[in-house]
Amino acid sequence: MTLKLDKKDFHSFLQNLMNDYELFAPVQVAEGVAVYKKIEHPLEAARFSLNPQKPAKEVFFPQSETMFRYGKVGVKTEVTSTEKVERKRILLGARPCDLQAVSLLDEIFQGREYSDPYYINKRQATTVIGMGCSQPLSTCFCSSMEGGPFSRNHSDIFLIDLGEAYLVEVLTEKGKAFEKNPFFKKATQKDLKAAKSIEKNASNQVGAILSLEGIERKLDQMIESPFWDRVQERCIGCRVCTYLCPTCHCFDIADETLTTKGQRVRNWDSCLSSLYSQETSGHNPRPTNRERTRQRLMHKFNYFPKNVGRIACVGCGRCVLYCPADLDIRETIKEIQKG
Amino acid sequence: MIQEKLRQKARELLESKAVDLVIGFGEGSLPLRVSPVFIRNPHEVDRLVWNSFCRQNLSTYLHKFKSLKIGLVVKGCDSRSVVALSLEKRFKPDQLFLIGVPCQRMVDHRRVKRAVQGEILHVSEQGDELIVEGKDFKTRLNRKDFLYPSCQVCVHRNPVRADLLMGEVVEEFSLLETHPDMKGFLNKGVEERWDYFEKETGRCIRCYACREACPMCYCPECFVDNSNPKWMEQGLSPSDLEFYHIVRAYHQTGRCTACGACERACPMEIRLTYMTEKLNQDVKELFGFETGVDPQASSPLSTFDVEDQQEFIK
Amino acid sequence: MKNPYLPIPMMVKKAFMETTDRMLRTLELTFQKEEDQKAFEFIPGQFCELSSFGKGEAPFGIASSPTENGSLKFTINRAGMVTTTLHHIEEGEEVGIRGPLGNGYPIDLFKGHNLLVVGGGFAFTTLRSLIAYFLEPEHRSLIREITVLYGARMPGLLLYKEELQEWSKRDDMKVVVTVDVGDQGWKGTVGLVPNVLKEVAPSSEDTYAVVCGPPIMIRFTLPQLKALQFPDERIYTSLERRMKCGVGKCGRCNIGHLYVCKDGPVFSLEQLNILPKEG
Repeated sequence: MTLKLDKKDFHSFLQNLMNDYELFAPVQVAEGVAVYKKIEHPLEAARFSLNPQKPAKEVFFPQSETMFRYGKVGVKTEVTSTEKVERKRILLGARPCDLQAVSLLDEIFQGREYSDPYYINKRQATTVIGMGCSQPLSTCFCSSMEGGPFSRNHSDIFLIDLGEAYLVEVLTEKGKAFEKNPFFKKATQKDLKAAKSIEKNASNQVGAILSLEGIERKLDQMIESPFWDRVQERCIGCRVCTYLCPTCHCFDIADETLTTKGQRVRNWDSCLSSLYSQETSGHNPRPTNRERTRQRLMHKFNYFPKNVGRIACVGCGRCVLYCPADLDIRETIKEIQKG
Repeated sequence: MIQEKLRQKARELLESKAVDLVIGFGEGSLPLRVSPVFIRNPHEVDRLVWNSFCRQNLSTYLHKFKSLKIGLVVKGCDSRSVVALSLEKRFKPDQLFLIGVPCQRMVDHRRVKRAVQGEILHVSEQGDELIVEGKDFKTRLNRKDFLYPSCQVCVHRNPVRADLLMGEVVEEFSLLETHPDMKGFLNKGVEERWDYFEKETGRCIRCYACREACPMCYCPECFVDNSNPKWMEQGLSPSDLEFYHIVRAYHQTGRCTACGACERACPMEIRLTYMTEKLNQDVKELFGFETGVDPQASSPLSTFDVEDQQEFIK
Repeated sequence: MKNPYLPIPMMVKKAFMETTDRMLRTLELTFQKEEDQKAFEFIPGQFCELSSFGKGEAPFGIASSPTENGSLKFTINRAGMVTTTLHHIEEGEEVGIRGPLGNGYPIDLFKGHNLLVVGGGFAFTTLRSLIAYFLEPEHRSLIREITVLYGARMPGLLLYKEELQEWSKRDDMKVVVTVDVGDQGWKGTVGLVPNVLKEVAPSSEDTYAVVCGPPIMIRFTLPQLKALQFPDERIYTSLERRMKCGVGKCGRCNIGHLYVCKDGPVFSLEQLNILPKEG
């Protein structure tokens, strides 16, 4: 069913959602810098034009998250899990690239042997209102990664920015719960036509220019290649590309304690950090930046496909845009493909 | 042309085997950006570029190469880092050949982006003008309006140490006496300063790009990563973020060369240099010292002298 | 949905130092809740994450056998913060544990064959579990000959000394204990594990070899096994890696596409051969 939402009603619409849901949306934290955050006031979610630096994974997999609290009572330690999600949630305004990435994270956190309740509970409690990407950048390559700026996959409701209004497509059962929202109107033929042309425009801008065909097999042969020496040379070993990557999901677990009480917390971690794989003895199976940069790329283009059958990159371009040393994963892919 | 000279010199150095490796700036894959290049083969010297976007401090890469002889392209600030690192004995004295370039001050690609509507797809330079093109626009901008804050106040554009200088020595003067952000910060009361600091660090994601981009941050294990003793947690609590940034800045006291690499590397665009710059000012006022300007002078905070005034412990 | 990150409480029933250097301490833990005990089914070679609340977790192979009901044994090498607190924990105190984790030894595969167990240093823990499992009267007939070769640097550093003595008295298994350097009281074999292996190894025919020990021992033992014509698919080892979650999610312990915590820690040499050499 196709509806529309006038932009003049946008804030009232958000207020209306916030009565029953916790609302997560891009929030500007400095000029030109945005992250996904829980909204306390509708005006916080005002800007939609940029894809936030920090990806939407954070709504389901926060950078820092308490797993349980513990406290000593006599000789016993009481453990209280914080896995429960109290209120239903909405993720608003996520781009198709970030949502495709979430579907990759589902594969990890759902897992065949073990499920991760912290992630799964948030995921199940959340209705996803995705957003068409009408102004993709030249760094975007979603169309090469089985996505596209207007891919509806993994959205329950999908918005298309028409200028004065949003076109609203209800896509799933979960989304249907919102059909009766008082701010939604029926979309006109004209709206539909306008949306089509916006979609076409954007899709034309992001061509499927990168070939990923056979990259997994190529990499099988490249483990010991001098290629990695070249990749690692420019890399300064920071964590920008991993933390801003919508599919990277490594974490560390640590206890934070004051006296007899404390909490066990998980924090994002990065394979580019030297301490990530360093053992207590001091031995490190990935002793240099060469092994670490290789791990990052192998994980996305070889290990993940081996385990799950999908490539763990969605072409959002964040690692290209924000790398302090201007490493460009598109060029790396091309070089791998050249062999 | 500086770029031509650079390539020529790099070719000579590599062909004569005076160096094993030249580290310089190369074409980036995005407009307004360059990317460090590592050249070992004299046939590849044409990858070297010189323009207004050479924002990185390449001396940070020196820590990666323990035994190679390196030809390093340095701006004024970068050369000061090399001097400071030499004093900290980070490499052998004859390991480096410094290819110095008097700097025209670098352009902040983020500021340029903000000046136009739409994505910038191509940029070229003509004198003091940037010609910026997108899908349906073409604008000429004055590069002076888009410089990095640290470049606006820079008075060491000429390399302080170089084995060879590319181009003419430039006149040393700052475009701004004090950067407005800095002035604003200095004029604030203690509480307002704290609020500003808290707001800036509040969006830190602990990617440590500032640390890794900084040539002076080379501890094998950074204090943030110590587990015994554990100085801080690994999460995003404001106190941990503030602690990280305060200690990082303090570790740079008397060592920072104001190159701005930390701020330029930050993906969250956190203002970082107002802190280090304030510390640099204090060090200059208290000790008459500027990092990396005098190749013989060690940082006052890492030296001891019986004549020290020691007023700070009164 | 079961939360794989929540530790269950166990009580320290017994704690004692194993070695003269006081670096290895064994904890015997008992379940606090009946349902936890019922739910805890494991096979030799699996491991657990032990919690020292306030310091964190660390992984340890289960040293007891599933046949030794009601309690779990872990031998802890003091190395970092978690292990240090576990060295100071007292009998009657509580620890949290998560597990069993990992794949364990391929018990079913071993059935009907001979077994050669080669261990070195404190990596003998899960090997002890494996041996005890097959020495259990109802299990002994599952497997044919058992040969155990265990070495340590010095006599004082051997684990489970009483048990080793008991085993050596049995006539249904062969036990060789060796030390790199003996002392006055030492009457047993002196020599490095790979060298002694040459002398005491059973025929590779129809025999599975399980090898655990410090990397240097593994490095020199594998060529010996090859020389003895053990095929790669019949050589098993248990790997150690830095781990956090133990359930294949947090990254970090992978070798190629396999996670040591979830797909291992037990691998055959045949499997390892095709993985990237990150060690």
